Amino acid sequence: MSRLVTNPMILKELRQRLREGRAWLLPTLYLLVLAGTVSFAYYAATDPEMGGSRGELQGADIGEVIFLTVVFTQLVVLLLMAPVFSAGSLTIEKEQRTFAGLLTSLLTAPQIWWGKFVAALLYLLLLLFSALPLLTLALAFGGVEPTELLKAVGSTVLVLASICTVGLWCSSMFRRSVHSTAAAYGFVLVLSIVTAVVFGFLVAHWESNNFAARGEGPPAHIQAPLFLNPFYPLLALVGSGGFGQFSYPVSSWLLFTALGCLAAAFSMRRIQRSGEQL
Amino acid sequence: MIEVESLRKLFRGGRGLDGFSLHLESNELVGLVGPNGAGKTTLIKILSTLLPPNSGVARVAGRDIRSDPRGVRASVGYLPDVAGVYQDMRIREFLEFFADAFRLMEPNRSVAIERALTRSGLADRPDDFVEHLSLGWKQRLLLAKTLLHDPKVLLLDEPATGLDPLARITLREQLKRLHSEGVAILISSHILSDLEDICTRIVFIADGKNVAEAATGAAEGSTAPSIRCEVEFEGPADAVDPHLKDAPDVRVLEKRDRLFIIELPGGRAEASAFLQKLLAAGVLITHFDARGLNLEDRYRRAFGGQTR
Repeated sequence: MSRLVTNPMILKELRQRLREGRAWLLPTLYLLVLAGTVSFAYYAATDPEMGGSRGELQGADIGEVIFLTVVFTQLVVLLLMAPVFSAGSLTIEKEQRTFAGLLTSLLTAPQIWWGKFVAALLYLLLLLFSALPLLTLALAFGGVEPTELLKAVGSTVLVLASICTVGLWCSSMFRRSVHSTAAAYGFVLVLSIVTAVVFGFLVAHWESNNFAARGEGPPAHIQAPLFLNPFYPLLALVGSGGFGQFSYPVSSWLLFTALGCLAAAFSMRRIQRSGEQL
Repeated sequence: MIEVESLRKLFRGGRGLDGFSLHLESNELVGLVGPNGAGKTTLIKILSTLLPPNSGVARVAGRDIRSDPRGVRASVGYLPDVAGVYQDMRIREFLEFFADAFRLMEPNRSVAIERALTRSGLADRPDDFVEHLSLGWKQRLLLAKTLLHDPKVLLLDEPATGLDPLARITLREQLKRLHSEGVAILISSHILSDLEDICTRIVFIADGKNVAEAATGAAEGSTAPSIRCEVEFEGPADAVDPHLKDAPDVRVLEKRDRLFIIELPGGRAEASAFLQKLLAAGVLITHFDARGLNLEDRYRRAFGGQTR
């Protein structure tokens, strides 16, 4: 276990990542995008000319708008970044011809994988946690419970970890970063869009049979395609009366955990056999 | 130190190893020579545990590459043909990373890093970034990194590729020193003159099989002794032809106007006798050089015009 913590790969990866030119640029852009989106959402919620409330607006309403805007926006942005950080991490070793040095050292395949995974995830977590002040702003306005904040952050971390393992799997399969990154983006698109489209068809069929008239949300088997949608666990946070009250976030968390474990196992197996690719 | 018996490795493309065998003792520096696609890199990759063989036995430092790959890695230093470096790391960081990757513990870790810096000649610039080094210095750094964990066996695949003459000389000196320190070395290279200078033995490989083997340094060590002679003369261009026809054992390797390169069976005494015969026949000899078969001649003899 201590080898996982004292893994030399982690120090090497973090050192290299933080020396890249984009190391300071990405967090800056990320926070600018979030701040811009939150500002827009705030004015949209408070300005009647922009479609905001014409009645008396409660602080709790503003807090909820800010909270949901931040959690969904940061998930979109981080989902776009996760393949970049994970899908190129093994292929770059192949491209730079440094992979043979790792494979012929005493580092094991799990150690190599773990070093790459932690480095990719830590950078995404750095971005995620840099947005915490914006989320606490929502807490200050009210309307958001600390447990909701924890759930949102926890769900986002779990989804990002799973996407990183998928990215690493792609990276272990391909020789070129451009191919592995494209494959990882394809996977993210399938999870985000195809699952939603399939759900749309199923729910349309379900509603056409008038099941919706009973005032219940779609049952678990109709929602099943969405369990692997990265945004689904966050839907549970959408206030009462919305879709959230009918959702099954725990099923989604379990599926993402299983996906991550499977991708990790395949990646490690692939790393062990990477000599053939060199 | 290296025992390879009937090693076989098949690829979809067809090239690999086809029953190759090799025995290398701890006091040997063996050169692996063959045309492109002969199986040199495949053999070195198998011995460094990067590739699994289809069949056959391969042991390095007494450890089987299949049942104890980690034990093999602990005993082997491997330098691939095109080895990369982490350009964005400092020289010391690069060595520290590999010292940790080979699980060197203090105080051995620090000693190994300092020794590697000294060995590579980079002791005065440990904080420079690797990307600022020339190709020759990078190769020295890579060799130093390969030696960090004091391997008993060194596997080098085309280590001199791309190096300038001075860097090649330095590399040769380093390898000679390591050999004298007792490190067994298997080196694959197309630069035959370098191999001839440093190797104790040359193994020829083609199509994944053993083709021939020869000791280096002198023709006397070869299994079928012969000597190569350069003969230059004046007078009619066909003055030497009748004497060559009278000696069926003499093989003409090259003929250019009044210059012959021939191969005679035997050694210096036979070459001297052949020269006396020409002189006695009245051929005006202006140049005669009998220094035996060099590695290039042996290569030519083993592989002829075989190229890939």
